[in-house]
Amino acid sequence: MSDIIVSSRVRLARNYEDLPFRGKISAAQCEECVNRTLSALRDLPEAYTYLPMEGMEENEKQALVESHLVSPDLLKEEMGAAVLVRGDERIALMMNEEDHLRIQAFAPGDDLKEAVQGAFSIEDTLQKKLSFAFDPQLGYLTACPTNTGTGMRASMMLHLPMLTLFKQMGKVGQLAAKVGLTIRGIYGEGSEAQGNLYQLSNQVTLGRTEEELAQAVTATALQMAEMERVFRKRAWEKDRVAFEDQLFRSYGLLTNARRMNVKEFMVHWSNLRLGAAMEKLPVSYESTLSLLTAAQPAHVLKAAGAALSEKEQDAYRCEIIRSALQGGN
Amino acid sequence: MKCEECGERQAQVVMTTVINGESTTRHLCRECLKKYQTGDLQSVLAAVLSAMAEKKQTPDITCPRCGETYAEFQKTGLLGCAECYTAFRRELTPLITRVQGRAQHAGRRPPVSEEEQARQTQMEALRSQMEAAVAEENFEEAARLRDALRALTAAGEAKA
Repeated sequence: MSDIIVSSRVRLARNYEDLPFRGKISAAQCEECVNRTLSALRDLPEAYTYLPMEGMEENEKQALVESHLVSPDLLKEEMGAAVLVRGDERIALMMNEEDHLRIQAFAPGDDLKEAVQGAFSIEDTLQKKLSFAFDPQLGYLTACPTNTGTGMRASMMLHLPMLTLFKQMGKVGQLAAKVGLTIRGIYGEGSEAQGNLYQLSNQVTLGRTEEELAQAVTATALQMAEMERVFRKRAWEKDRVAFEDQLFRSYGLLTNARRMNVKEFMVHWSNLRLGAAMEKLPVSYESTLSLLTAAQPAHVLKAAGAALSEKEQDAYRCEIIRSALQGGN
Repeated sequence: MKCEECGERQAQVVMTTVINGESTTRHLCRECLKKYQTGDLQSVLAAVLSAMAEKKQTPDITCPRCGETYAEFQKTGLLGCAECYTAFRRELTPLITRVQGRAQHAGRRPPVSEEEQARQTQMEALRSQMEAAVAEENFEEAARLRDALRALTAAGEAKA
């Protein structure tokens, strides 16, 4: 587990060579895409759940987005849009999104290599039985030409509260751009990065090997983590009491508040995570990570199992937070 | 002047994109400029494609397999099928090079089937036998081997 790199993920875009891409595909061909994928993966040792988007409740769909198992774009698709999720949620295979397949693999912390291997192993299983559109020059062919080649997007989620506070994110963005990467806020809209959480990923997909792309993301993420540590240390040395006060106030609110909206939660969550990383607060990285998802709107509604007004949601969120933080876990 | 992207708001900035030495200039409002500053390749591609469409640089090509026209691609930035890459190759290659910086795949490749592996091994053997036959001036045998080699090559191309 890493104090600053929250999680790692990888996505491979693949298309079956004999089926038209999303823009030209028929309903029957979408179904074929799902059927052949499921049948090729039938003998995998782990348990997988197949979740078609059609007929799924809106809140269920949003909860899948909050868990990063499906993209918001998948929800916009109608024909055959589905996801196949491994029991531990480390693998999620989107079907009939912009490409026929988006193989996604996740790993906690900075273990991007494990995520990459996870995605490759699914691809290997599929390729034993099925053929993907491939061109010796352009690599794996995708609906959008900006994804051809490896079809890979490797990402790391970073928690950068001090680089944000000290207005360093412009510099951080330039650093990413210099090496062909991009960094953006994950939660919140526009330039706002709720929870001070950012996603660093590769832009270019062609002309580099998968290892080179993953290596570029990892090396840059580590460099950013080091920058963040410098600013954490600086803030700590400048005014320890103020620093601790901020962490404990958020901890106090999270463990005692009775009503909190998601935006406010994200502010305190960031301090909770910072407190865990600096070993000031009695919380583990794992529990900060699961709490981050559990307190998002669709997850709150799902846990409540009933329609709630906004105020009731904010109250139920506090119950979830309190029970997650009880007993110093 | 109106923004060239949304066509609604007043254009306030001039955006010049230089990719591999080729520059494109667009007049944009601040809202639309933001889209491009996120720097994702899809937006860059969209900018290049719409600049081309404005200059009426739309080649009249249609993919024989899925029926996608180049004009459709310019509008959506999405291709219709794997065959489009062949049909539009002349236009796509420089475009992909502009956006990606490189145009030669370096990553993983689909596995070669056992059948294909066997074919390649057999071709390798035939080639060296043929060379040996030529060296021994056994031209009759060399011609026989050459024909066998041709048949194997054709079989492989028919599969691909």
